Amino acid sequence: MYVFEYQRAKSVADAAAALAKTGGKALAGGQSLVGAMKLRLANPGTLVDIAGIAGLKGIKQEGAAVVIGAMSTHADVASSAVVKKAIPALAALAEGIGDRQVRNRGTIGGSLANNDPAADYPAAVLALGATVQTNKRKIAADEFFKGMYETALGADEIITAVSFPVPKKAAYVKFPNPASRFALVGVFVAQTQSGVRVAVTGAAAHVHRATAIENALAKSFTADAAKAVKIPADHLNTDLHGSAEYRAHLVSVLASRAVTAAG
Amino acid sequence: MGAYLSTFASCIPTILYATLLAGQYTTPVIYCEVTAVFTNTAPVDAYRGAGRPEATYVVERLVHAAAVETGIAQDELRRRNFIRSFPYQTPVALMYDTGDYDACLDEAMKMADVKGFAARKDDAVKRGKLRGLGYASYIEACGIAPSNIAGALGARAGLFEAGEVRVNPTGGVTVFTGSHSHGQGHETTFSQIVASRLGIPIETVEIVHGDTGRVPFGMGTYGSRSLAVGGTAIMKAMDKIIAKGRKIAAHLLEAAETDIEFKDGKFTVAGTDRSKSFAEVALTAYVPHNYPLDKLEPGLDETAFYDPTNFTFPAGTHICEVEIDPETGVVQIVNFSACDDFGNIINPMIVEGQVHGGLAQGIGQALLECCVYDKESGQLLTGSYMDYAMPRSDDLPSFKVATKVTPCTHNPLGAKGCGEAGAIGAPAALMNAVHDALSASGVKYLDMPATPHRVWQALQSARQ
Repeated sequence: MYVFEYQRAKSVADAAAALAKTGGKALAGGQSLVGAMKLRLANPGTLVDIAGIAGLKGIKQEGAAVVIGAMSTHADVASSAVVKKAIPALAALAEGIGDRQVRNRGTIGGSLANNDPAADYPAAVLALGATVQTNKRKIAADEFFKGMYETALGADEIITAVSFPVPKKAAYVKFPNPASRFALVGVFVAQTQSGVRVAVTGAAAHVHRATAIENALAKSFTADAAKAVKIPADHLNTDLHGSAEYRAHLVSVLASRAVTAAG
Repeated sequence: MGAYLSTFASCIPTILYATLLAGQYTTPVIYCEVTAVFTNTAPVDAYRGAGRPEATYVVERLVHAAAVETGIAQDELRRRNFIRSFPYQTPVALMYDTGDYDACLDEAMKMADVKGFAARKDDAVKRGKLRGLGYASYIEACGIAPSNIAGALGARAGLFEAGEVRVNPTGGVTVFTGSHSHGQGHETTFSQIVASRLGIPIETVEIVHGDTGRVPFGMGTYGSRSLAVGGTAIMKAMDKIIAKGRKIAAHLLEAAETDIEFKDGKFTVAGTDRSKSFAEVALTAYVPHNYPLDKLEPGLDETAFYDPTNFTFPAGTHICEVEIDPETGVVQIVNFSACDDFGNIINPMIVEGQVHGGLAQGIGQALLECCVYDKESGQLLTGSYMDYAMPRSDDLPSFKVATKVTPCTHNPLGAKGCGEAGAIGAPAALMNAVHDALSASGVKYLDMPATPHRVWQALQSARQ
């Protein structure tokens, strides 16, 4: 681990000012960032701890949406009665992230700001057409994820909450990497008020929508319709756990299973 | 070999491998030539089973394939070739002292409910799944080893074991062993054999290991040898304790030494009720007021070094049943039954734990684990558990285990060893099951590990 400065922010404005001044990184649950720092893959210089800021936690229903505070842990989301009732697929996804320790420390805001190519939450945000709220603006899911570990967030921009429109039905199916248990491929299928949306994580450099499957499911929301879609392997990841062709195949298979699970 | 020779590197593919190629069968002629090569990768060394899983894999994959080719049932082909007359000299140097291979096969087949397999397979097909059953009737050579044979094969170490039994004046016993315990429960098993042999409460036995400043020069814990070799050294030391105890008791009881019997912790004049307890004899040895000091040293503390006369030959049959999801290539182990013959068993719970651990390790090897190097740079790609897949509890079924006993004929405990059996039988049983499941789809050959990606690729290739 490289030497770093630590600051504990009292408010979002305080944190944003510190980030602007130091060029450092915001520390949420630290489940990705601290691990990367230990491996010297990250050298943030200054860590601005946002854990002490009041009002960033909490889950509530606001009209036809579920709004989750950025500092809510995966365990909070997994056990939330509001989420379980309105978007059970999201609660189940949170329950499947990492292990118990990660779920009790890791946060939804931290996961989204990190945008790991194999993270689970980005698939839910993109498929459900959620809105990411920051200290500066509201960013639509389709505009938020920009590349591998890249988002639309500015250097001093902090996620404060995520607003998920309640879908008609939805499900997430993850095929775990046999070693890390991260998503080798994860597919989130949602029938939203504005149509079918399908988001894929793990398979490529970053989360993306599977429009071919969306189109097929818009015509017929059935497992067979999803499975019949041939996903091209171009631009998908190849590594020792799976070729691009295998991942492409899994996208269709998992999408079909998600349709079945969505009921 | 990797980039240089590590401790056991050259033993594994040679003396621990080729000598096991007879398996449980009466194969009349066996020729094995091994080419060892240096590579620019990490050096290899002994890992649970070391050489014997490889030999079992070769033999049992061949037997599986032969049964498929000839249309003879898997169990029948094995039975037709089982060795049934002991001692048995194999064509690859070893002489098996004892065994009953039918007994383990029969029991494993019962546990695996082989009779019900066809119905389970039909049901799986209806659900779009592939189901397979695989056998592995393995043998291993443990209790390593007669030092002279090891020396003739090129080993540069002696392979005996040492045990010291120190009887304290109170009648309690401290045992010093060269067989270190790093989780195998020697403290329990060794205490049991001492308490049982000397007829004293187990609470009065202390086992000391792992401190070279205190224990006699021993060779250590490896190759499933601790009980068969280290335990026997302790038994031999106890023989000396009892022999000396009889002399002391004979003096105290004013009887001839030849008339003294030792049983249940008592030295008794044969045919009478006159006796001295083990504790009384121990106290006398250290407070030698009434003692034949002209003929016998005081004290009661003996050491024995034991060098085995032969290897021990644990054997058994493992049967694995898998269900494969052809859409994803995921192999699920739905049943794993293991019936092993470890000779006499001192502590069944510890033995069962060893089998569970060995099976998990063998299944890990067959299903998940693989060292991968980048072909361009030589960089190890599986350098952390993010990429090197270790078996976890949810990769494993609830094991069914049983044992059959043919006691080892050449050590006083009749023990053969149980530490590596699981890791030896599991890879072959599992991969035979995977091949059985995939055969209907036209897959003829698949190497370990049977990861989802590789199984899926094999199915794709077979389709083309």
